[in-house]
Amino acid sequence: MTDPSPLPSHLRRIAQVFVDESMADSPLARRVRHRLADSTHGHIPWTVVPAGADRVHFDRGADQALYLKEYKGKFLRFCPGTRAYHCCAYRIIHIGENCPMACSYCILQAYFQDRVLKIWANQDDLFTQLGEAFSADRSTRFRVGTGEFTDSLALEHLTGYSRDLIAFLNDHDNVVLELKSKVVDLSWMDAAKRTDRVLPAWSLNAPFINEHEEFHVSTLTERLEAARTCARAGFRVCLHFDPIIHFPGWREGYAQTIDMIFDYLTPDQIAYMSLGSFRCMPQLTPIIADNFPSATYIYNEFVPGLDGKARLLRPLRLEQFTFMVDRLRAHGMDRQLYFCMESSEVWQQVFGHTPRHLGGLANHLMARAFGE
Amino acid sequence: MHLSNETVTAPASAIRTAGAHLFWAAEPSPGLIRSMARHGQAQAVLVRETADGLALVAGYARVAAQGQLGQPVLARLVETADPVELGLLYLADNSLRPLDDAMRLAALRYFRLLLDDAQLAGEVLPCLGVTPGSRDAKLLADWLTLADSWQGHLAAGRVPLAAGTVLTRMDEADRLAVAPFFAELSWSRSNAVNLLTWLYEASKMTGRPVAEVMADSGMSHGPLRELSPKDAMARLTALAREARQPTLRAMQTRFDTAARKLVADTRWRVAQPDNFETNGVELTVRIADPGQLEQAVHDLQAMADRPHWHQLWDTTADHD
Ligand code: SF4
Repeated sequence: MTDPSPLPSHLRRIAQVFVDESMADSPLARRVRHRLADSTHGHIPWTVVPAGADRVHFDRGADQALYLKEYKGKFLRFCPGTRAYHCCAYRIIHIGENCPMACSYCILQAYFQDRVLKIWANQDDLFTQLGEAFSADRSTRFRVGTGEFTDSLALEHLTGYSRDLIAFLNDHDNVVLELKSKVVDLSWMDAAKRTDRVLPAWSLNAPFINEHEEFHVSTLTERLEAARTCARAGFRVCLHFDPIIHFPGWREGYAQTIDMIFDYLTPDQIAYMSLGSFRCMPQLTPIIADNFPSATYIYNEFVPGLDGKARLLRPLRLEQFTFMVDRLRAHGMDRQLYFCMESSEVWQQVFGHTPRHLGGLANHLMARAFGE
Repeated sequence: MHLSNETVTAPASAIRTAGAHLFWAAEPSPGLIRSMARHGQAQAVLVRETADGLALVAGYARVAAQGQLGQPVLARLVETADPVELGLLYLADNSLRPLDDAMRLAALRYFRLLLDDAQLAGEVLPCLGVTPGSRDAKLLADWLTLADSWQGHLAAGRVPLAAGTVLTRMDEADRLAVAPFFAELSWSRSNAVNLLTWLYEASKMTGRPVAEVMADSGMSHGPLRELSPKDAMARLTALAREARQPTLRAMQTRFDTAARKLVADTRWRVAQPDNFETNGVELTVRIADPGQLEQAVHDLQAMADRPHWHQLWDTTADHD
C-alpha cells in the first residue's frame, strides 16, 4: 500500500464533501472519491444531499466544502460585458462556482458568501448542451473559457474536469478553450490532441500584489514556469494583467513582472495578453475592507464608471496602462495586447487605435485564438 | 421570577443608590418632582435587601425626588443579587423610557462584561429596541471597543452612532487627531461620517497617518476658530474631500475654470457628466421665449470660436 499523498496546498482546507443524491454514483463523484481516498484527506466525511434540498449549509470557519451538484441551468453562457466598454466577448462554459483560493480583490466574495465549492457533476448534460451548440454549424468558431465563476484549474487535481473538457473538445476543432488560472496543474496536457485548440492562461500581477493580496495561489515564477512548459509542448499561452492595482511602487512592481515574462516566454508564444484595471461593483468594497483589512488599494481614487462599477479615475488608469504597454512593446508585444473592459478613448490614448481598427475586439481575439 | 409581591416604605436616605446596573441614573426632572409633590409616588421603585440595608435596583430619579421632597419611598422587593438579573430588571423597569444611542451603548457596556455575544443578542438587544444582526447592532458593537471619551461625544450628540465603523477602523493616533473636531462642534450624521471616512481613506490611500493628511490639507484647528461652527464644519468637510480625491478635485477645478470662461456672459451651462470617464461635456440652456432662443443660438455660435474647449477635454493638464 502506498502512503497517502497530500493534496496541493490550495485544496487542503476542504473538510467535507456534499454530493447530490442523483450524482452520488456519477463518474465525477467516483473520481473525486477515489482521488480523495488516495490522499491525506481520505477521511473527510461525505454527505448525500437528498433530492429537493435546494442548498447545503456549511459554516466551519476557514474550512471549505466541495459540493458535487446536479446543475439544471445553462452551461454555455455569454460573458456579462457591458455596452459602455469593449468586451472580449468570450463564451463561458459554466463548470462550477466559487474558488478555494483567496484573492482580496476577487468578485466571487460578493457572489458567494459561503465556503462551498460547487462543481457541476452532471457532465453528460454539460457535454450534450455543448455538443449541440458547437456542432450546429461547424464553421462557427467559439472562443470559450471556464474561469468566470471559478478558477479553471483550482479543483483539477480532484475533478479532472478540464481534462474531460479537452477530451470532449478534441472532436470540435471550431472551438478554442482557454484555461485561466492562478495555480499550476498541467495534468490535462496530454489529453489535448491539438495543442492549437487549448490556451493555458495565467493571471499575473506585480510581485507585491501576488505576495500581499493573493492567498493560497502559486507564485509568479511557478506560473511562468508552467507557461514555459506549455509553450515548449506546443501550446500558445495567454497572460492576463488583471486586476492592475494602483499601489505605492506599482511602476517597479509591474516592470519587474513584465521583464520576468520574457525570461520564460517569447512574444510569439503568447496568443494574447489582457490588461484590466481593478474595478468592482460598489458592494464589493466594504466586503474587501472586512475580509482583508490590510488591502489599502480600495481607498484609491475610484469613481463610478459608465457601467456603474467603481473604477480608478481615468488619468490614473492611463498612467498605468501607458507605462505597462510601453514596456511590453519594448519586449516585442503588440497585437497580442488588449484591454479588458475599456473605452475607445482609453484604447486610442494608449494604443493609438481603437478596437474598430482591429476589426472589433471579439473578431480580433477570435483570430488570435485560432492562430491567425 | 425575581420580583416579590412585598412592598416596603423607607426614607430615601436609607436606600443605597449606587451600582453599575443603574447605568441610566439621572437626576429627577422638575416635571417629575412637581408630579410627585402633587400626587405622591405612583410607581414603586425596586430594591433588594442586603446586609447593609436596602440597595436600589431601579428608580434612581424617584428616590432622589422623594428625598428632595422629604417623603418616604415606596419600594418593591427584589430577590436576586445576580448582576445580569439586576441589569435586566433595571431595563424592564425603564422599558417606557425613550432611548437614545448613548443610553443603548451605556447599557451594552454594562452587560458586555457579564454576557457573551449570543446572550447579548438574545437577552439585551431586543430590550433596547435593536434587532440582533442589524446595522445598528453592528455599530453598537463597534462603539463598545471605543474609549469612554468617545462615548461622551456620542452622549452629547456631537458624533453620531453611524461614525462608529470608521472610528474603529482608525488606530488610536488617528482617533486622537480627529477628536478635537468633536470636542467643540456638533456634527450632523452625514457630515461626521463623510469627514471621518474621507480622512481615514485619504490616510490609507497615501500611507500616512490621519494627522499628517490633516496638516497637509490645512485642517489644523487654529485658523478655523475664526469661522462660525457651521462654516467651520463645511470648510473641514470640503478639505477632507479634497484630500480624499486630489486628482479628481484638481480636474474639476480646472474644468470649472475653463467652463466659466467659455460660457461667460451667456445663459449656457457646461457640465462634465461622468467623472471624466469620457471627454464628453454637457451643454444646457434654459429658454423661456423666442428672444432667449435666438440669443442662445447666437451665444453658442460665439462660444464655438472660444479657445477653452480643449481645456475642457484635457483637464489633466494645467493650462495656466
Ligand atoms: S484565484 Fe481567481 S477565482 Fe480564485 S479567489 Fe483568486 S481571483 Fe477569485
